[in-house]
This record gives sequence, C-alpha cells and structure tokens, in this order.
Amino acid sequence: MNSPAKYLFPTTIEEAAQALADWKGEARIIAGGTDLMLDLQKGKIQPHCFVSVDRIHGLDQIRVEDDFIVIGSAVTFANLKDHPYIDQHVHVLADAGRSVGSLSIQNAATLAGNIVNAMPAADGVMAAVALEAEVEIVDIEHTEWKPVESLFKGPGLSNVDPTRQLVTHIRFPRCEDHRGTAWYRLGRRPSLTLPILNCAVNVFLDDSGGIIQRTRIALGPVAPRPFRAQEAERFLEGRSPSAENIRQAAEIARGETDPRGNVLRASRNYRLATIPAIVENALSNAVERALGFVTTPG
Amino acid sequence: MPVSFFVNGAPITVDVLPATPLLDVLRIELGLTGTKQGCDHEGECGVCTVLLDGESVRSCLTPISKAEGRHVFTVEGLGSPGKLHPLQQAFIDTGAVQCGYCTPGMLVAAKGLLDRNPNPNHEQIIEFLEGNLCRCTGYKRILMAVEIAAAKLRGEQAEFKNEYPVVGKEYRRMDAVDKVTGRAKYTEDMVMPGMLHGRVLRSPHHHARLIALDRSQAEKLPGVIRIITAGDIPGENGLGDYSRDEPILTPVGDTAKMMGAPIAIVVAETPQQARTAAQAINVTYEVLPHVFTSEEALAENAYPIYSQGNILTQYSVKHGDLDQAFNESDLTLETRYQSSFVEHSALEREASLAYIDDKGIVTVICANHEPYWHRNYIASTLALEPTQVRVITPPIGGSFGGKQDPILAVTVGLASFLTRRPVRIAYTRKESFAATPKRHPYDLKYRIGAKQNGQLTGIHVRINANTGGYDAHGQYIVHFAVTGSGGAYRWQAVDSHAQTVYTNGPKAGQYRGFGTTQSTYALECTLDELAQKLGMDPLELRLKNAIEQSSISFLGYPIGESVGYTEVLKTLQPRFEEYLKDADAYNAAAREKGEPFRKGVGLAGMWYRFGKSGTLKVEAHCELASDGHFVVYATAPDYGQGSNSMLTQFAAEILESSSDQIRLVNADTALAPDSGIQGASRSTYFVGGAVCKAAGNLRKSIQAVASELLDCDPADVTFSDDKVHPAQDPTKGILLSEIAAEFDRMGRSRRIAGFFDLTPQFPDEKRPQYVPLFCTGAQAADVLVNLKTGVVQVERIVVSQDMGRTVNPVDSQGQIEGAVMMGVGTTIMEEVIPDATTSFASYYVPTIKSMPEIEIHLVEVASRHGPLGVKGIGEAVMTPTAPAILNAISRAVQQRIREIPATPERVLEAITTSQKEGLML
Repeated sequence: MNSPAKYLFPTTIEEAAQALADWKGEARIIAGGTDLMLDLQKGKIQPHCFVSVDRIHGLDQIRVEDDFIVIGSAVTFANLKDHPYIDQHVHVLADAGRSVGSLSIQNAATLAGNIVNAMPAADGVMAAVALEAEVEIVDIEHTEWKPVESLFKGPGLSNVDPTRQLVTHIRFPRCEDHRGTAWYRLGRRPSLTLPILNCAVNVFLDDSGGIIQRTRIALGPVAPRPFRAQEAERFLEGRSPSAENIRQAAEIARGETDPRGNVLRASRNYRLATIPAIVENALSNAVERALGFVTTPG
Repeated sequence: MPVSFFVNGAPITVDVLPATPLLDVLRIELGLTGTKQGCDHEGECGVCTVLLDGESVRSCLTPISKAEGRHVFTVEGLGSPGKLHPLQQAFIDTGAVQCGYCTPGMLVAAKGLLDRNPNPNHEQIIEFLEGNLCRCTGYKRILMAVEIAAAKLRGEQAEFKNEYPVVGKEYRRMDAVDKVTGRAKYTEDMVMPGMLHGRVLRSPHHHARLIALDRSQAEKLPGVIRIITAGDIPGENGLGDYSRDEPILTPVGDTAKMMGAPIAIVVAETPQQARTAAQAINVTYEVLPHVFTSEEALAENAYPIYSQGNILTQYSVKHGDLDQAFNESDLTLETRYQSSFVEHSALEREASLAYIDDKGIVTVICANHEPYWHRNYIASTLALEPTQVRVITPPIGGSFGGKQDPILAVTVGLASFLTRRPVRIAYTRKESFAATPKRHPYDLKYRIGAKQNGQLTGIHVRINANTGGYDAHGQYIVHFAVTGSGGAYRWQAVDSHAQTVYTNGPKAGQYRGFGTTQSTYALECTLDELAQKLGMDPLELRLKNAIEQSSISFLGYPIGESVGYTEVLKTLQPRFEEYLKDADAYNAAAREKGEPFRKGVGLAGMWYRFGKSGTLKVEAHCELASDGHFVVYATAPDYGQGSNSMLTQFAAEILESSSDQIRLVNADTALAPDSGIQGASRSTYFVGGAVCKAAGNLRKSIQAVASELLDCDPADVTFSDDKVHPAQDPTKGILLSEIAAEFDRMGRSRRIAGFFDLTPQFPDEKRPQYVPLFCTGAQAADVLVNLKTGVVQVERIVVSQDMGRTVNPVDSQGQIEGAVMMGVGTTIMEEVIPDATTSFASYYVPTIKSMPEIEIHLVEVASRHGPLGVKGIGEAVMTPTAPAILNAISRAVQQRIREIPATPERVLEAITTSQKEGLML
C-alpha cells in the first residue's frame, strides 16, 4: 500500500488551508476516500500527507437556509439521501446519492469528493450540475464560489487543485414551489455498477404550472465532462410541459450528444438509442413533481 | 503513525502507515480474519464490510486513520458459538450459509440495519445488502434470515419453520457456526511461522513466444528468496491427463497461448516484495497473432495455436436415418445459438499454502474437487512418489468447478519444495480473472424436425466449444456437449457432433453444469422456436416427446436411472399456465395505458448426466471411535454445497444416531480414502452411497460384537445415540465406548470400509462418463422487459426438479436458489470479454436487487441405484434457467435472441427489429 506518511485531521478550515500551504503541494485533501484509496493503490497519486475534511467543524452539516441549501464537504451520500429536506424536495440529489455504488460506499463517499474527482458521469456531479450548484473553494489566500460546471477540465481533471485548495461547501438555490427534479440511471445491473447513462433534470414551472420557465438537463457519460443538453433546455423554456414537448426535447437532447462506446457497458449506438427514453422519463417525473406543488383551484 | 480506535468495544492502538486499509489492519495486524477480502481493495464485493460508528463501510477502502477514536464492529463482535446473535442463529436456521465467505459481511451489514431500524421492510433490507455479493445462496435465505432475526430482536415470536430432513435425525450444517462467527479459517486466513509468499509472473500477451527471460535483476531485490522458471521443475512440467498441453511454467522457446499464462514464480518474504520482483523479471516476447472465437480459430487460414491444429477433441452420437427423419417431417428448423466466457466468481479468491511437514511430506492446503488428483499432479511435477505428498482440504469459499483446476496447488507445492519453506500463493481477483478457467463459450448449430402434431423427428447438431488457450479439461467437454444437446426427448434419428477448439481466449474448464448447460440452452431455445412455429404449447411439446423409463434416449439406448421428466413437467404445468395468464393480463393493460413494459414467459426443460466423472466404485470408511463417537472418512470436498453435512447425515441415518454423534474426516489424503472426483454432482449419490455402505458394515460389525455382550440376536441389537441395547429391552444398554473397548480386546478393527459400486449394474461400461445416470428438471421464467431500454428484470422463476429423494429440504432449496441466481447472471449480465474484463468492476455478478421470486417444487422419483433413492442435482438445477429466461425475453419482444448474455443492448436490438417488422409489441 502506497500510503502517505502523514494523515492530518484539522478542525478548522483555516487549519486545513494552512496545512496544504505548509506541505507545498505534497499534501492532498481527502474526504470519503473511496476514490482516493483506489488512486493510491494504482499509484495515480503519491501524496506525502492526507489532510482530512472529516473533522473540520461544520463541514458535516446540511443547512437549509432561506435562499440556499448548503452542503458541507464532509457530508456523505448517505447523509444526503437520509436528510428529510433533500429526500422530500431534492429528489434528484437523494436518488443520485442512492445510485453511488452501494450503501457502504455511500456511507463514506461525499458529494464534494465526487465533484473534485471530476469523472464525466459521476452520479453526484450530474445532480449538482442540474441543480446549478456552486462550490466554495478555499486556499490559504482566497475563498471563492464557483459554478460546479466550471470546474471540469477533462475526465478526472478538476480545476480544483486538492493539493492547494479545499472544497468546503456546495450550495444550490432553495426552491420548493413549481419545481421538480428527477434522476434516471441505466446500468448493466441495478446496483454496484458504473452507469451506461445517467440523467439529472431540474424543471421550474411558472405559477400556473402551464409553462416551463427554466430547465436543466444533465447527461452522462456522453462527453468528456458532465454534459448539459442546452438545446433541449432552450426548446422547453417557454413551452408547456406537455408529453409531446417533452418527447421532442428528449429527441433534441439525443441530437446534441456525442457519446462513445464502451465494450463493457454499452455501445455508442445503444447510448444514442436510449438517451431519448431516459431524458423523457426524467423530464416527465420532474414535471409531475413540479405540478404536485402547484395549487390549482378546484 | 499510531492510530487508536475500538474494535468490538476493545481499545486498540496500531502503528501503521496512516492510509493502510482498515481491512489489512484487521486481518494482518490484529489477526481478525472473520472479515474477508474478495476483491483487490476495490470495493466491488462487500465481503469486507464492517461498521464504523454503526454505519457499514468497505473496510478495504477505509484508510485506518479514519477510524481514529471511533468504533469498528466486525463479525467477531456479533456473537460466539455458545452465544450466537439472533442474526447468526437465523442465518444458520434458514440455510443462508453455504460457502460462508460472504456471510461475515452480510451479517455485519444486517446488524448495521437492525441497529438503526428494528423493523425494516423488504426494500430496506435489500438497500442495506445490495452492495454485498453472494454467489451460493441466491440471496433469498439471507433476506429471510434478516427478517426472522429482526422479528426476534423486536421480541416477537419468529422461528424459521425448519422442515426436517428426510435423512438423518435433525438438520445441522456442521460448519455453519464457525462460518457465522468468523472462526472458519480459509486458506487466506492461515499463517505459518516463516511463511513465504509466492507471486506468479504471467504473460501480458494473448499469444506470444518467449524469446528470453532474465531474472538476474529481480533476484537481487530485497526479500526475494527464489525465482522459479520452467527449467527448475524437477518432474513433469504439466498436468498430465488433466490438461494435456498446459505447462506449469512456460519454458523459453515455447509459446504462451493466453494472457495470464504462467511464466515464472517469485518467492519472497512479503507479498509486496514478490510482486515487485515479478515486475523486475525481464522477459522478451515475440507477439503472435491471436483469435478469441472458435469460428476464427477454425477459419481456413487460421494461425495454428498448436502444431497439431486448433481442434483438441471431437465426439459424436449418431443413430437412425436422419435424411428419412427430416423427409418425414412437416417442419424443420435451423438455428444457431452462442454463449460467452463466464467466470465462476466464487467470493473466495484462489489461494493455496504448502509446507514440508516434520516427516518430509510435501503438504499442500488447497481447495480442490479431488485431493488425490491434486496430490498425484503435485507428486508428478516434483518427481516424488504420491505418498510423499499430502493434500489437505480447508474450508472453501465457493468453487462452482473453478477450484477443480490443479495448477495453483502444483505451483505452490513446487515453490515450497524448492525453497523448503512454507509458501502461500493467494491470487488477486484480477489474477483469478486472468489465470483460472472460465466456462466454455459454445457456438451451436441446430437442425431439428417435427411432425405437425409435435412429434420430434430428427436432430442434427454441430457444436464448437471454445477452450481458450489450454485444454484445462476441455478435452472432455465434447461428451457433455453432445449429451446435453438432445435432452430428455425421443428422437427418431440423431447426428450430434462437438469439437473442442483452441483459441487465445482465457482457458476454459470446469464450470457448474460442465458442458451441459450451454447445449441445454441452445436445445431448449430451439424447441421453443419449434413450438411457436407449430403453434403448440411449449410444455405440451415437451410432454409429448418426453422419454419414459424404457424409451430409447437421444444417446441411442435407455437411461440407467429412474426417469421423472413427465412428473416434472406436469408439476410445473399449473404454475406455467398461471404465469402465462398473468403475462397476458399485464401486457393487455400495458398496451392500453401505453406503458413501455412487456412481460414474457418462457419454459425450458433439461436432462443432466450426473456422476459421469471418476470411477464407478467409490470407497468410504466408518469408524467407531474409542469414546463411542462415529467417525466418517471420505473425500467429498465441501466448497459450500454442504457435502460435510450430507456425509454425516447419511451415517447418522444408518447408525440411527444424531449427527452430533458423528465426526468427519473429509478430503485429506493422509487420513481419508479416495472416494473419487467430486464433479458432476457425484458426492451425494456416490460418496453418500459409500458412506451408507461403510456405516452399514460398521453397524453389522457392532451388532455382531454387541450381540455377544447383550446375549441377543445380532439383528436385534438396536442403536440409541451413544448406546446399543437389545430391541426387546432398552434398559439393558451398553455404551458404544464399551463396545469400542470390546473391539480392541478382540483385536477387531473399529474402522471399516464400504464401497458404493455400480460395476455390477453396468458391467460392460469401462468409461464412466458414458454411464447413463440422469436427472431431469424444468423451469419457467417470468420476465419484465423495458421496451425503451432493453433492460430485463427476471421477476419469477418456478423450478420443478426431480431430486430422486431429498436429503435435506433446506439445503436443497438453498442450492437450487443459488443455481437459479447464477443462471440469471449468465443469461442477462455475465460475460468475460477478453481484453476488457479484468475484475469484479468489469464483470457483473447479480446483486440482491436482481433476485427474482423463486418457487421450488421438489419432485421425488426415487433413484434405482443411489443411496436412499437420491440423485445428484447441484449442477442440473442451473441448466434450464438460461433457456427459460431467454425464451421468456424472446416471447416478450417477439423476436428471437440467440446469444447470451442477453444484455440490454441485445434485447433492445431485438425490440427494434420487431418494431421495424411492424410487430405489435
């Protein structure tokens, strides 16, 4: 085992940032560790020191604030799906969390780690993209919020440098009314597997429930990075959430993607053939949920 | 770095590197080997599950530092043999423990659930267990066990309704307590003082010639004791008849025929040093062209993988006038079916430990199906007499045929022999995928004919069985390919031919249902196509053609065991018809509502030739121990299927004692007689038979001795637990220990042999694999297909199986459920793709979420020759699952799928074809 010699448990964000600075690039942030332990074995990373976010005060919290839902970087996928607010109002995140490996992975793995690991179809990431999440990134000098979508350089490559920076929080706008989210995942077996395709959607309806105001459709793995079906999103905006519009949007989404084949999971053709079905399914469920919160008289 | 934490409540401090996996700390530093390892620290199998502050985690992916100050809970903390936790008790009672390798992880995950939610529903239990693979049980009994334990913990009355076995006085999986408490020591759990670690260097090419090998750099590395190459082998560099052309180590100048072919063995002080040194061996290869399919290997211009060509063996059965049969047919049908490489995926990886004992005997502890075979192969490679080698069988974490392959035992024996030190070789999961045998992919071409009334006429079959780069017993598979290809049906004329073909795929060898499964799949799917073409009910078609006792079978002669196929089919019929009705109703509603789901129902039968390997005469011993216990000596390795319990139950039945009264010495070449190979579902029928004979002989001998002391007729001597007494007077009992003393005084042997011998029944049969012992069964599958994605969920399977006589209903059903689940996997998800599949991350074994409802009907048509009427069923029950499911899918999508696994992609293609053809799905 290629273990680093040190493993630090700072209790404050400042302490963590300071540790990274002190180690001058030889230390690395660790959260759940379920990906890093694999990287360590493969020799993909060789840090001299791990700096854990596990015991930094406050980072294990999920806060439901007035405008935002704020998730600490030590929050696990199991914490997310078990959180009453997330479970009830942010289906896409709860369900994406349920899709990560299996429960004993979800009990360790974090949304923050998922984002920094930067895989193009990471379940948590897809949900975060659909939710228009922002990520708080801290280093010894700065703290800044960046949109999650801006953080991907390529497969496995993040703009967050975990030898210098740490993610402390992830947040997304709070919204309960006229909004619905949904998740769909296709795999070679129902659990414990990487996705053939996954899809996270977030739909905002107007007050009447008759018009889609805005939508976010995230799809993976159809590009080297988490992909948003922006043409499909634009098509839907301003239109009614009818079955036919959803069907058309799903077709448009297929047209925008350029998936690759994977001999173990599925071919490009299979992915192209099933994208409309999964986008349609996710959009319909999200719309249904959004309508569920619309109070129509009579 | 010191890390302090609690294990099962006790404070512990270890000083290790801070990101050392918790799993390694538990197993290596603390010796807590109840927590298992099944993959390569990849989080892919779940057997290493522990609780960290009450939540289940993969201990292989948990850096030890994460545990600092926290509580780790392992199976050792759950309960001890005298004080089992209700979960442990429920696992034992329900039969949820087979090989036991997934058991600790399952128990711990279930504990995590029940601590948090004392009243979980079905879905919640599944959620908590979905990350834990099990290969033996099919999950059903594990789920039942958790439900029962939960109820008990809530203080409710909940006992598993244990159907008492027909044979033996009570049910007891004799090794289950050790397995649920984490005490069972599998090979990877054993350590010896001074033990070295071996690592095999393997070819990275599918086909390559070894030009040169330089070990000089590697030899200088720290910890390296010895590097062994082909030239160091004192005896035969091969596996004799087991695998005609497979070297233990590939010599320089020869070609390595598959990726993973062994080149050299490094023996070092630590596994890591051995691995590093293996990488430092400098090998020069000349890469040669490679092929993966039998079709490519048989092409006219194909590169000869072996100088004698790419065909290893051939076999055929031919009788009747086929031309006439086809001419007289109202319908003939041609099909071609294909299957892929599949991997056993036993959760225990292959491991073996060898040492030289104080008498100089090379002793090898290894999983096996026949310790005497392993012993002989080891002796032959070491140029020793067989008696200079001893093979001991440890607890085995699943085999399914995979651990019959002797190469690892020979390799580790060689390493210990040459270093004169204890050596262990434990394969990684990746090595297990690369180096161990797979199931033979078949390419089958069928032509069958029938009359309009459904009477079958002629059958013409051509089978290519892909054995990969090495024989690995593939030479024999042609017999079973051909035998399985015609089923339990009456045919007017038969011409079936199979050949084993070399490719450069992974070597293929023993796999549950050896050779029969793939043929059954193609036959039973072809019959389903025929039924559809005839407009006939598929069950009626089979009933109409089912063989009876006196029928001339597909092989050209009647079969030698009792035939229960008609009973099997009739038992299945009402459930099959209900499935059909349910599916029709579901599909009508789905069409009405425009929902993209369709149900399909499929049926398949099978006949399986059991007991076909090994000799017709099998030996076992039974002893009256001086303390009055009985001891059974036999070789029937228990890899999870429960043969240990079966053997003691049989002895208990004959000696009218409880199985507590019986001890077992199983599969140790120094202590137990050779009872033949445990393949082909032989153990209950053959070894069980021999134990019955031995126990019967001992019984007679005891009666003779006791009758003198009791002053009664020997036949009146009655057994009652630890005593014997005259039938008329139970009060006049003598302890068996006193009888034993009397044996000794008389100079009479207390250990008596018994032989189960079928030679008188089959006097002309010199080749055991031709002895026509068959059992039959049938299954129906109910599947749900997503028309938009091609994803299939197998919802229900009903099994009807001729058992002969059921020895143990709990174990039988558990074994059937496991077989069905394995069948589900190989039909819809499992596939080793050469070049791509390397471990559990790229091989899809069904999880608990893929578990169908399984309903089992045990049909009992007593065997004519087997002990107490039994038949061998362990493999047979897997064979109809694939065709039943595939027929169900094909009927749901109205398009034939002729390749397994029926991946979502293949199913969607079929759906698309149906839609293009304008079929109303």
